[in-house]
This record gives sequence, structure tokens and C-alpha cells, in this order.
Amino acid sequence: MPSPEDTDILDIMRADLQRALKKPRQQRRWAMAIDLKKCIGCHACTTACMSENLTPPDIHYRPVKEEELGEYPNTGMRFLPRPCMQCDAPSCTQVCPVTATYKRDDGIVVIDYERCIGCRYCLVACPYGARSADVGHYYTGDFHTKTYEVENSGEYGKTSKRTSHWRSPIGNARKCHFCIHRIEKGELTRCSTTCLGSATIFGDINDPQALITKLINKSNVMKYKEELGTKPMVFYLT
Amino acid sequence: MQIYGVLIPKKEQISGYLKEFQQGKGGVLVYLSLVGLLVGGVGVGCIFMLGHGHTINTSSYVPWGLQISTYVFFALVSGGCIFTNFIGNMFFPHHYRSLASRVIFLGLITAIAGFASLASELGHVERMYMFLLSPNPTSPMFWMSVWYSADITILIIEYIHIQRRRHSKGMLYASFVIPVITYCSLGSLFGAVGTMPYYYSSLLPIYFLFSGFLTGNALCAIVAAQQSRRTGNQAAMKPFMRMQKIGLASVFVLTFCRIIVGLSSHQSGYEIFRETFFQNVVFGMLGALVGPFMILMYRRTSAALIFSSVLVLITQFLARLDLVVEGFRVPVFRVYDMPERISYFPSIFEMLVVVFSLSAVALIYIVCEKMGLFEIAETIKGGH
Ligand code: SF4
Ligand code: SF4
Repeated sequence: MPSPEDTDILDIMRADLQRALKKPRQQRRWAMAIDLKKCIGCHACTTACMSENLTPPDIHYRPVKEEELGEYPNTGMRFLPRPCMQCDAPSCTQVCPVTATYKRDDGIVVIDYERCIGCRYCLVACPYGARSADVGHYYTGDFHTKTYEVENSGEYGKTSKRTSHWRSPIGNARKCHFCIHRIEKGELTRCSTTCLGSATIFGDINDPQALITKLINKSNVMKYKEELGTKPMVFYLT
Repeated sequence: MQIYGVLIPKKEQISGYLKEFQQGKGGVLVYLSLVGLLVGGVGVGCIFMLGHGHTINTSSYVPWGLQISTYVFFALVSGGCIFTNFIGNMFFPHHYRSLASRVIFLGLITAIAGFASLASELGHVERMYMFLLSPNPTSPMFWMSVWYSADITILIIEYIHIQRRRHSKGMLYASFVIPVITYCSLGSLFGAVGTMPYYYSSLLPIYFLFSGFLTGNALCAIVAAQQSRRTGNQAAMKPFMRMQKIGLASVFVLTFCRIIVGLSSHQSGYEIFRETFFQNVVFGMLGALVGPFMILMYRRTSAALIFSSVLVLITQFLARLDLVVEGFRVPVFRVYDMPERISYFPSIFEMLVVVFSLSAVALIYIVCEKMGLFEIAETIKGGH
């Protein structure tokens, strides 16, 4: 296994991904590590995610928060990308009255767009603000909608088109899903491939050889709002 | 089963009233609520035709707004009517009995009006059958739907019993216990959300029960005061005055406790209790609770009872909106150009949903009253 120093980090993650895909799904555990020292706050992941999932206005699966730390004159700045944490004890799935959102055996929390009644209880329950309501807005207005705004984004491997407010995903809750439609084809999540600072590491934490497993077992790992007991599967390296 | 004269007015009562209605003698309130129903109906229609994106001001940051708070308000009013029915039957049977069918009927139509408001908020109301196909027993909302259905069913049965003069103590207890569970589950739907400091509280289910009792009783009190005026029997409204005072005092204590508990926490998000302190104390406690209490202390007329009850209904309606919406004021994750505090003001369409629900309740009740649907219960002799 080549070390991160002498091989491109994307090649390492791709090799990790291929290894993981050879195992049965229930033996994989997808997770993400974000190295806050490497994140330069360029928002490339945010925009790449928007184009990958064709998200409408005001819906960002992966915003990047700019945080000011300390007090003058000892101040600093930190960038905190926030995908869905794919929590191991998610509060969103617990409250969904119709089991439209649930945790798969590989750790990804998904939303079944055809089952979701749009009650938004999961938005209220998620402590990370990781969920959004698709109320049917378009960037280009209702009467001049461009193909890319209504087209099927392939989320969850399904062909949902935003053609009217009666059709999912309009009316549903939406959120980051670790690009299931890509990883199941052997492609990395869009955010990790776009990250300019190579700060986003994705992989299977059940694989002891995977880069992510090595990184999250160090002492500089933080989990966001861990005290809430949601057991987030996104690890921040500080 | 007999439908005319029990569930709905008799055929001759309906045709008699329709004639009066056509001649313009239907009653001002009926015409007003009919206009409200039509205008509100246009608003509801627009929400379904145009979609939420163009009609509703809720968003990912404020996922629940006026329609949900209206649902909560009506649901609690409905529960309150049932508690009033139970307490009236148990403790004031002679004064209360003649009003029983009206009270249960109000409980029924407010429960349905609340559901209408809720339905207009859901992104995919047409998938409600999913509650049956893929239920989630860990969700308070699922249990809420189960108990809400049971509640409406028991209300219908109790209403039919009263109308057919077949009173049963078992049914009276059932029509008390099931709503208690129902409105506790509604309280826990909010109170169990650990991530929302403004909601998260074990007090909330109890708070919901008592505010339900207060608002339901206030609605019944208006009806009782009207009946007292009509029949000249002032004693009939006394139980309602007493119950309203008890309701106001209990909600005062619970509101106080909720605010104190919120203020004493130093965890992130709990600053909402400090920021809403003034409005909660001045409007939520003094204006909404102490004010009506004082009116009832010093004036014991039917006009005072009607005035204080209307005040209670309006202020509790606003209190429900405050409870639902203020929960989102402090964002859980603030990013980009999001303001530090999220504000929400309902759209005209959302307001029209309220007009629709209110008008539907007013129209159905007044028309049934004018047609004499509840007269049958007034002839009841003997207690349970
Ligand atoms: S971050 Fe929020 S939406 Fe994602 S799994 Fe956790 S609770 Fe659910
Ligand atoms: S919005 Fe959809 S996914 Fe979220 S709780 Fe409601 S039904 Fe479940």
C-alpha cells in the first residue's frame, strides 16, 4: 500500500473504494474525514455538490462555514465543511413517521423520495441543519426553467425529475447522501474529488488498510456536536 | 343507524333553514363565515395548485410555520372540549348536561379543521397512506397520527351516544383517556426533539394538556354564555367560568416553569428564552393569562365570559404560533448570508388557511345550531 506522501491521495482513495466494493454491502462502513488544517475555504466542494445533485436555490448539501476563532489580537479563522454526518444514531430517522428516511447497512442515511410525505419533522430533529426542504424553487424562475434544473440528477440511483410541485423531490426533505449513485459505480464522492486542499477523505472504516481508517485513529480527531449522542460518521481532523 | 337528526339535522330542519338562508335570514355570522370559507378556500386551492414554493413562507430554516401552529391550536381546542365534557359531566352535571352535544360536536369539527390546516403544509399529502404501509413506531408523529385517529373515532361515537341519549360511563371515561394520550403525544412530538431548546422539555406534554383545556373550555364558554342569554339561565355558565379560571391559573404556572427552566440553562441555543423573555412575560403571561383571569374575577356576566374567552382564544392562538416558530429563531448551523436570528412572517396564503379553518368551524357549528341539531340533547333527563 503506497503511503499518502508518495501517491496522489485520490488514487489511494480510489483503491480503497475498489477494495470496499468487492465486499458485501453490509460489511462496508462509509465515513468521511475532513482535515480542517487543509481546508482553504474555496467552496469548490459546495459548488461541485450542487452541480452533481442539481440542487435548487437555498439547498446546499455541503456548505462551508467560516468560523472566527479567539479574540483580538489572538484570532484565527477556520473553515468547516458540513455534509450530512451520516450519524450512527441519527435523530432524523428516529422521528420520520413513515420510515422514509433510514440508515442503510453500509452506514448511509438515505431518503426514499417516493415515500416521504414532506412533513419536515426530520429537518426539525437534525442538530446539524443538514436537511433542507425542496419547496420547488428554480434558479431561473418558473417560466424559464432550464433543463439542468428539472433534469434527473440520479440521486439514489433513481430518475426523479423536478418537473412539477407534485413530483418528488419537490415537496421532500433532501440532504447529502455521500453520492451513493457515484460510489456504487466505483467513483468517489464529488466533494472529495473536487477538494482543492485534498482535505476530504472518503472511505470504508471497516477496512483497516483504508486511508480514512488510519487518519481517524489519531488523537487529533473531533466529531461535531458529539455530546448530543448522534455518533456522527464525519470526522474532523484538527 | 339514524343519520338525520343524530349526525346531521333532520331533513325538514335542513330545508327549513335553507329557505330562510335564501331569503337572507340565515344570520350575519353564517354569511360572514361562508365568505371566509370561500376566500380561505381560494387560498388553500392556490397552495395546492401553485405549490409551496410560491405560496408559503416556511423554508429549510423555518420548516414549520402558521399552518402547523394552527393545526396545534385546533387540535388542542378539540382536546379541551373533551376535557370540558368530562369535567362538566363529572362535577357539574345539572348545569352542563344540556350543552354536552354542542361541546363534543365542537371537539369533532375543530379536530377536523386542524387536520385540514396540517394537510396544506405537507409536501406530499397524497402519500398519507404511508402511515399505514410503512409506519415508524419510534416517531412521536406516527403515534400522534394513531391517537388522533382514535380520538376522532371516539368523539364520533360519544357524539352519537349523546345525541341518541345513550349515555355510558365507559364511553365518557374513554373519551377522556384517549384525548389525554393524544394530546400528550402531540406535546411529546415537540417536547422530545432534543435538538430544539425551545421545544425540548418534559413539561411540554403537560403544558399542551392544560393549554388545550384552557382553549377548548374558552370556546365552549362562548357557546354556554350564548345559551345562558337565550334561556335566561345564568347558572349554566358558572361551571365554564370556574373551569376557565382553573385553566388560566394552571397554564400560568406551567408557562412560568417552562420559562424558568429555559432561562436557567446555559447550553447553546437556550439564549432563545432570554431573547423572548419580555414577550413571554408581558404578552404570554400578563396579557394572555392574568388579563382574562382578572376580567372573570371582577365581572361575572355573560358578556365578560364571552370577552375573556375570545381574548383567551386569540392570545393562545398567538402563543401556539410563538411556540412553533420561535423554536427556529436561533439557527442550528449558520452559514453564508444567513442572519444571526431567523425571522418568519406568514404569507397571505398561510393566513387564508387560518381563515378557511376558522370559517369552516364557525359555519358548520352555527348552521347546525340554527337547524336545531342539538335540541335533542336539551331534552335529556337524568345523569350518566
Ligand atoms: S447529520 Fe442530520 S440528517 Fe444527517 S444523519 Fe445526522 S441527524 Fe440525520
Ligand atoms: S420530511 Fe420526509 S423524510 Fe423527513 S420526516 Fe417527514 S416523511 Fe420523513
